[in-house]
Amino acid sequence: MRADHISVRASWGITAAAVAVAAGGCLPAGAGAAGTAVGVAEREFRISLYRATVAPGTVRFNVTNFGEDAHDLAVLTPRGRLLAISPEIRAGRRHTLTVRLRRPGAYRLVCTKLDHPARGMRATLRVRRPRR
Amino acid sequence: MKRRRPRPAPRRRTTGPWTEAHVHRLFWRAGFGARPDEAAEWAKRGRAATLRWVLEGGPQGAALVGPAPSADGKPLDPVNEWAHDGLWWLDRMVRSQRPLVEKMTLFWHDHFATNDQDTPLMLRQNRTLRRHALGSFPKLLRALTLDPAMQLFLSLPNSDKDAPNENFARELMELFTLGVGYTERDIREAARALTGFRARWTDDGFGGIYYDRERHDRGFKRIFGQRGRFDWRDVLRLVVDHPRHAPFLTTKLWEFFVAGPPSRATVRRLSAVYRASGHRIEPVVAEILDHPALYRSLDAPDMVKSPIVFVAGSLRTNGLPVSAQSLTWLLDGMGQRPFDPPSVAGWDWGPAWMSSNSMRTRFDWGNRLIEDDLLGVKTGSTQPPASPAEALEQALAATGRPWISGVTRSHLLEMATRFFDDLGPRTRPQRRSERADMLQRSLRLILLAGPDAQLH
Ligand SMILES: [Cu+2]
Repeated sequence: MRADHISVRASWGITAAAVAVAAGGCLPAGAGAAGTAVGVAEREFRISLYRATVAPGTVRFNVTNFGEDAHDLAVLTPRGRLLAISPEIRAGRRHTLTVRLRRPGAYRLVCTKLDHPARGMRATLRVRRPRR
Repeated sequence: MKRRRPRPAPRRRTTGPWTEAHVHRLFWRAGFGARPDEAAEWAKRGRAATLRWVLEGGPQGAALVGPAPSADGKPLDPVNEWAHDGLWWLDRMVRSQRPLVEKMTLFWHDHFATNDQDTPLMLRQNRTLRRHALGSFPKLLRALTLDPAMQLFLSLPNSDKDAPNENFARELMELFTLGVGYTERDIREAARALTGFRARWTDDGFGGIYYDRERHDRGFKRIFGQRGRFDWRDVLRLVVDHPRHAPFLTTKLWEFFVAGPPSRATVRRLSAVYRASGHRIEPVVAEILDHPALYRSLDAPDMVKSPIVFVAGSLRTNGLPVSAQSLTWLLDGMGQRPFDPPSVAGWDWGPAWMSSNSMRTRFDWGNRLIEDDLLGVKTGSTQPPASPAEALEQALAATGRPWISGVTRSHLLEMATRFFDDLGPRTRPQRRSERADMLQRSLRLILLAGPDAQLH
């Protein structure tokens, strides 16, 4: 934890040039997207939802693949109709899938790869009107 | 395991005057810096009162004081939104009235480094680290051994009597408690003793850790020369009682706060304090924070701020809130994103923080700060300064009066002197004012992110 302070000092002179180098610094802005966020973790062979219930409306599934294989995430209506599907998410990668869930009910989330749903990659998100 | 040990050295305390420079040093090392008014107040109240506040907190406890955090205008959702977990913790570092607790939570996050686990479990581990941050090490170790994120990270629930997994046993000895003083056989035998944990998985995800006696190896084990039907509790007791444990942990604590390794007498002293207290953290940290070595070369700070300390500190000392998701990506670029240590060994502290890419990102952060309404300079808002000294004084006042060396000060004054050189006597006042704005921005950027700002 010791600082090699001599090389810090040596690394930059205090000149206007240092300021000029830094002046171009710009970074990606935050997403700022609307809707309810639902954290989702995928791994072999499970899907974990960090929120079990949401109100009807736009939902952003923030998916992280913690596993070693590639996975995807599909959202099915309570009747089993495919609403949306993410692209393949490679190991260690993230993806946001935005979906409008209009009606209350139990929506199914699955990974569509091979036998992954049968091996456990499925979960349920309940859409419920907030109690007043 | 009785051994004759040399008598520990007597306690060494700070003596002499207690100045704002002392307060700044203490607040940076034990937290995330002091605002100028805090430094003045605690310098007045004296050494004992300041140390007491740092170690025990004041009447506000661990309250969060100051503007609430947000991410691009929205409240934080640390569980579901990416990167908000890091912002949530950063906000505690910026606003908590127990900054030492947050600093120690960071120490333990590095010590018991865990990554790639579900966000709710990582946040739960973070609360556990905070709860035990200054308390009993055996209790902390027990809590971390049972912690779901840690268990899943080091495959403890996959370890049973038929195939003991050595991951946890190995890191327990190598990284968590001893460093040296054990054999491969000790690891193998401890792994057998640590069998029996299982993870429950349901359709909604992780359902908790439980203990299954049927999966535990109930046979005899031999660890550190002792024989018994040891289980996980015995292993934790054995490593904490091992003669190498106290020197290992107290040295690591010392090196978190002080530049340069501790003397052998200091290690003996800290180890004795640690053992006599029943393996509590707070008495050891109290000794370190009161040690003259912590206050060495007050006019030439000799430790590099870690990226998290650098960013949290610049917000805290300027009274600014956590306000953008991009902060997490900035920390990533600097090489220290909270909840994402590179491996179980934690971060590589020290010179590794100073890669050119990391330093470039620290400068980006400085640029971000001077775009802020509070620290920024609106075009046309600056009067041409009466003198270079006045220009520097304005910039210092606007940036929380960070430490700068005498050499830096003279460089900055020289820069301020020459900044208007190319403007002739007939330059329009507006042009002079714009140039004065530019000088302020340049000075503030160097104060916030130049070489001196990297040290504490
Ligand atoms: Cu899959």
